[in-house]
Amino acid sequence: MKNILKILRTERGWSQAELADRLDVSRQSVNAIETGKYDPSLPLAFAIARLFGRGIEDIFDDGQGVTQATD
Amino acid sequence: MATLGFRTANKRYKRLFWPMMAIYVAMIFAAKWLVDEDTTPLWIRAVCAVATTAPVIGSIWAILRQTSETDEYTRARQMRALAEAGAIVACATFLVGFLQIFGVLGAVDVFWFGPAYFLAFGLSRCRTSLGPTV
Repeated sequence: MKNILKILRTERGWSQAELADRLDVSRQSVNAIETGKYDPSLPLAFAIARLFGRGIEDIFDDGQGVTQATD
Repeated sequence: MATLGFRTANKRYKRLFWPMMAIYVAMIFAAKWLVDEDTTPLWIRAVCAVATTAPVIGSIWAILRQTSETDEYTRARQMRALAEAGAIVACATFLVGFLQIFGVLGAVDVFWFGPAYFLAFGLSRCRTSLGPTV
């Protein structure tokens, strides 16, 4: 799943370790999410959205949005 | 068991794992000093074996507890490493077993399958850290 986590993180000048600290996850978790190797669960996605003050769909894009809207 | 987050789970893991390892090392030396196969009574030898195994059980409990309490990604990687280690040791057990049955290999101490599991677990953890993840 594509996401803009890295952009949001660098905008705030946080390292992966700092973001991991704020979310109480490992730095590897942040790296895996940023690189799209791992899709977070709904609770973690909500925690990320809350931290950045955005909606989940503003941060994560599963590429299905357009298809579903036209169905 | 509830998820506590990466930091708390790690703290709780270290608080249990390292004392268990220290007790394990101490028990090995104590048992080595206490046990003489020819003269030590059987019950003392049995107590030494159980007492040396107890901290190993404690450290395995620490690993399993950390796995269930840590963050979801770390848990998934840990579960994968535990499963891979189990699969590797199961394969090794069959191989060694058949090599023994067909007379290729002599007696191998069952003890070594325990350390082999931890070695396989460690290698699997390293692999998931370096390569493709969950």
